[in-house]
Amino acid sequence: MDKVTCIVVGAGPAGSTCAFALAQKGIETVLLERGRVPGEKNVASFVLYISVLEKLIPNFRQDLPVERNIVRTDFMYCGKHDTKSLQSYNYRYIDNPMAFTAFRRKFDSWLAQKAADAGVQLINSMKVTDLIKDEGQVVGIKVGQEELYADVVVGADGFHSIVGEKSGLIHEWPPERCLLAVKEVLDLPAEVINERFQLTDGIGCEQGIYCYNLNELDVFSATLYTNLDSVSLAVFARLDELQQKNVHLHEKLDTLKQHPYVHNLIKDATLREYQAHILPDGGRIKPSNLYGNGILLCGESGGITDTDSGMGIPTCMLSGMMAAETIGEAVKKQDFSKNCLKNYLKYLDATALLDMIHTSRKESDYFASENRTEIPKQMETTANLYNRYWESDVDYLSKNSFSVPTELYLALGQYHLPVLLRWPLTTLILLFRFQIRFVGAIKKKLRRRYYEWKKQPIR
Amino acid sequence: MSGKSSLSVDEKMATVKIKIDKEAHIIVKKEYCRDCKTRPCLVICTAENYRWDEKKDELVFNYEGCLECGACRLICPQDAIDWSYPRGGYGVKFRFG
Repeated sequence: MDKVTCIVVGAGPAGSTCAFALAQKGIETVLLERGRVPGEKNVASFVLYISVLEKLIPNFRQDLPVERNIVRTDFMYCGKHDTKSLQSYNYRYIDNPMAFTAFRRKFDSWLAQKAADAGVQLINSMKVTDLIKDEGQVVGIKVGQEELYADVVVGADGFHSIVGEKSGLIHEWPPERCLLAVKEVLDLPAEVINERFQLTDGIGCEQGIYCYNLNELDVFSATLYTNLDSVSLAVFARLDELQQKNVHLHEKLDTLKQHPYVHNLIKDATLREYQAHILPDGGRIKPSNLYGNGILLCGESGGITDTDSGMGIPTCMLSGMMAAETIGEAVKKQDFSKNCLKNYLKYLDATALLDMIHTSRKESDYFASENRTEIPKQMETTANLYNRYWESDVDYLSKNSFSVPTELYLALGQYHLPVLLRWPLTTLILLFRFQIRFVGAIKKKLRRRYYEWKKQPIR
Repeated sequence: MSGKSSLSVDEKMATVKIKIDKEAHIIVKKEYCRDCKTRPCLVICTAENYRWDEKKDELVFNYEGCLECGACRLICPQDAIDWSYPRGGYGVKFRFG
């Protein structure tokens, strides 16, 4: 009977990080991946913020497979006939990078290899089919007929977590907590990208795009970011919304590609690859379901991602690190029961992750609720203020619908948000608001003058 | 706007590499689909793998062209779709994820 201390299922960012951190503690770990190589099943929807990676592997820059170094972040609001944008260019990031674009096929393999170098046993092409239980305690995994035993199993196997499901920790899949995404990677020569996005070699940009009223009253978000010689364009929508509106998600992507702003950026590009992925939105399971007897869930399988801020990979990695800390403690005590693994929450609480889960659960509950057109109290005042600024511009904010990008409401309202993760966005959006107010005031003044001038008798 | 119309899903799917398993990872209880009023799987599938055959009056699908998002499994109101990941080493291979 083969037995190790820990089995980590899934060699994505969360799993590889967890395994790496465990190996550093000298804990015998096996890392299982269902793809032929790590990363070939994974799809990134945004850029890779390095904050957690830096902590894990301080000299990671030596050989990280990077596409472009992200120094510019744009927020675009795309309407049917107009766009509004906010651009943030941080020159500091040229020398001290904060985020990269990378292909997951390379990045995940790289990270898993780092874990393997640290002493983790990485086994590819292994799809875990079941868990072995002994009196309620998870004691191992099954891959078809093969069995492998362990003191503790870490489920980092992504959205459709088999580990989470078989252990009973995940038992429901509410569509309103699931975000479906499709992405296109479009081939464009590096020089053309540099010219169209106003970039230099090795420097890239990311754009969060909020689309409203492109097609009737349709609000959805999209991301666009530059790789070395390609551009990635992804759109997102909640499952229940897609079902209600009866539209294909890739049609939304096509609509966006026809928008003059996006069209100008990606024209003449050829499709390199089409991808789809589903991601948990809004803290998919209760924090009390993140651990069990001999089992922990981290990363996407535990819903520890933040889909709004694009911080998915770092938050997953951080949860993996915290799972490793928990297991380190459990190994010392030689206690792998639920009671001991409960410390996972303590570790998560030491970071912003637990707050993040609670907040995004509240958020998605609200946006999924039937009375979502009724703006809650804390948002009302800001929404009213906002309405006043835009009285003349019905195109932007149609009054009979709740069509303002959700981010905007959340950032403007007194909604409690994990400050650590959101402050850049909040600041930018507040800036945006005041800019609008300023421009709006000038516009109104000019219009009034024009009418006064018109009324005057012609001399 | 460009004169060129956008690619169809089949054309898009031609860019994806998939190692096809002989064993199907999607099993549908088709008898449930006939009574299903909404049939959200037809809309939700990112690869448009599910289609309704009007002549036979039944659901047709091909598991080979699956992008493994698994949305169909979550959305099915009848719980008729038994979807799981393909066996280890098989299925979709994203090169630029």
